[in-house]
Amino acid sequence: MEILVCLKQVPDDSVEIHLKPGTEEVNLDGVTPVVNAFDTYALEMATRLKEAVGGSITAITVGPEKARDAVKTCLAVGANQGYVISDPTFEDADTLGRSKILAAAIRKLEADAGKPFDLIFCGREATDRASGQLGPQLAEALGTGVIVDLVDIEQTDAGICAKQETEEGYRKVESALPCVVTVNKPAYDPRYPTIKSKMAARKMAIPVLSAADLDSVEPGKPTAHVVKVFEPAKRQAGVKINEETAAESAIKAVDMMAAAKLL
Amino acid sequence: MSQYEKVTPELIQALQAAVPGRVSVDGDINDDFSHDEMPIYGKAMPEVVVEAVSTEEVAAVMKLCNEHHVPVTPRGAGTGLTGGAVPVCGGVVLSIAKMNKILSYDTDNMVVRVQAGVLLNDLAEDAAKKGFLYPPDPGEKFATLGGNVSTNAGGMRAVKYGTTRDYVRAMTVVLPTGEIVNMGASVSKTSSGYSLLNLMIGSEGTLGIITELTLKLIPAPKAVISLVALYENLEDCIATVPKMMRANLHPQALEFMEREIVRLSESYLGKSTFPQTFEGSDVNAYLLITFDGDSEEQLDEMIEQASEVLLEAGALDILVADTPQLKKDAWAARSTFLEAIEANTKLLDESDVVVPVNEIAHYVNFINEIAKDYDFEVKSFGHAGDGNLHIYNCSNDMDPEEFKRQVAAFMKRAYGKATELGGLISGEHGIGRGKMEYLAEMVGPVNMRLMEGIKHTFDPNMILNPGKVCYTL
Repeated sequence: MEILVCLKQVPDDSVEIHLKPGTEEVNLDGVTPVVNAFDTYALEMATRLKEAVGGSITAITVGPEKARDAVKTCLAVGANQGYVISDPTFEDADTLGRSKILAAAIRKLEADAGKPFDLIFCGREATDRASGQLGPQLAEALGTGVIVDLVDIEQTDAGICAKQETEEGYRKVESALPCVVTVNKPAYDPRYPTIKSKMAARKMAIPVLSAADLDSVEPGKPTAHVVKVFEPAKRQAGVKINEETAAESAIKAVDMMAAAKLL
Repeated sequence: MSQYEKVTPELIQALQAAVPGRVSVDGDINDDFSHDEMPIYGKAMPEVVVEAVSTEEVAAVMKLCNEHHVPVTPRGAGTGLTGGAVPVCGGVVLSIAKMNKILSYDTDNMVVRVQAGVLLNDLAEDAAKKGFLYPPDPGEKFATLGGNVSTNAGGMRAVKYGTTRDYVRAMTVVLPTGEIVNMGASVSKTSSGYSLLNLMIGSEGTLGIITELTLKLIPAPKAVISLVALYENLEDCIATVPKMMRANLHPQALEFMEREIVRLSESYLGKSTFPQTFEGSDVNAYLLITFDGDSEEQLDEMIEQASEVLLEAGALDILVADTPQLKKDAWAARSTFLEAIEANTKLLDESDVVVPVNEIAHYVNFINEIAKDYDFEVKSFGHAGDGNLHIYNCSNDMDPEEFKRQVAAFMKRAYGKATELGGLISGEHGIGRGKMEYLAEMVGPVNMRLMEGIKHTFDPNMILNPGKVCYTL
């Protein structure tokens, strides 16, 4: 199976991030760039599928040239080859623009390889902007079906069967290939690279494709406009209930909730 | 215990005048003040708890208690593991937990001045924001720095950076008599008489109360990477350690973990982090290693060299934690061992022996072997880089008295073996109340006499933290 995983380099989401005082500019000084967590889940799911049915995984990102590090990370944990799509004209692209760039890059890679991708994985959203739109927009640009919020996948005679997480529970969805899928957090975690896979990834070339390498890509002007960037209001401190006994504390808690008409 | 006086209403009044609004008596005292995190060594309620906010308040309390012959037990965050903060003779518990201000940084001399009640975690985070590392890294991050200094706490990074002792430049101490003294200075060399500073470090609140500290910082390393080496058996795992050192590799941390404790911690966290098998072989031991350096390129070279040593020494494979998330997961699994044990255990005792690094496997196998003679379970893990092992005795169904009796018999053998191998009975937790008889046995009467003499010199009325370390009641 020919698999493509789209990934985005984002600031480490395990650290608290603030705006530069008095500005709407996010302060990313000293924050490590990492692969978007949902994209790492997508890659792990893709890698498990590849291990089960055979095939090859290509990792691809749209971003500055330094996003190579993100691709390199993926080469150590399952991806067989990787590309960075980078061009000064792509810098302002919004999600819709990126989906068009990715679609053009995918067509280019398919033409070069002489075979299409069967399955295209994306994270359900990026942890920086969290628009959650790239997967469906990419499917639209490629003219394929899309299944969002996967937590598991298997190959079937017809194509794939995906376990989709919904607000109510899970749903099994089948699709023919090619198809785009977006991945939520599965029951497992992304694997660790081994020293051998990491060293091998270090030596691999990661080509950078520019607008000139792609066939007539037109990301267009951003369709969404940021009105304001601001930090969430600080949560007020909660009420501490610490009566003599646990039973008394519980009674007080219930009384307070009743008084606030929460019960 | 009859040498001590009870707290009188007059003394309470005087304490309230000295420390207004922060004196609790009898029924108002929280049960937390009667124990630390190892209640197996016995609990005892104080008559009074005083929460001081300044050196002067501490001095006033000590002066009053010394005059009244009332025992005082100093207390930080109460996270100790040897009963050191338990007021075994009643009297006053003097808490410095509210003395929690980071006072000033001297970035030229790379030192920070703090009140002794600042939590390790708070200093570590604050220093990191300023580009510094405070290297001591005991597992309990919510202990006070005063407590860390009082036990000479070590932790994971000791293998490269040393223990708390190596980072204390100066301190302010209130003596049991109420006198305030300064020891040490913000300098890196001293040949100026007996090092009272070093005597205070590790004295477990028996010689004086540390109220302020000047601590050394280092520039924070720019890059950090961790490796997880998988082994089929503990012997190969431990045998790697001297080879790493000889290869001139200087890991920041080097921890060994056995299969059972890893599974326990993973089930506590609800997350499976480390592989249990590798290409058909069971993984029975893990080495968790961290390197730090100036750049990722430098670290890549370092881990490549380290991997050669590890694979040569019999590692099945080596995983690399090179992203913030993977590093966090790998170390979370290690850092929650004690929490995971506590959550699953009703009766718990522990020891933290330290043995020469080349004897670790021999010692752990000895412990696993003698554990079969007792009804409790034994779980162990430790700092492979410095030979410091944490051995836990755990039971959920034994009679508490029988548990204590069997643990005492076990400890005697365990400490005996550690001594025979050239080790010591505590690497970083201290003696407190729980390990006094073992200390006396290990160091012998002359050493004990010297320690008692020192105690008398600092504390003529023997009121400060009686019944701990070397002063038997």
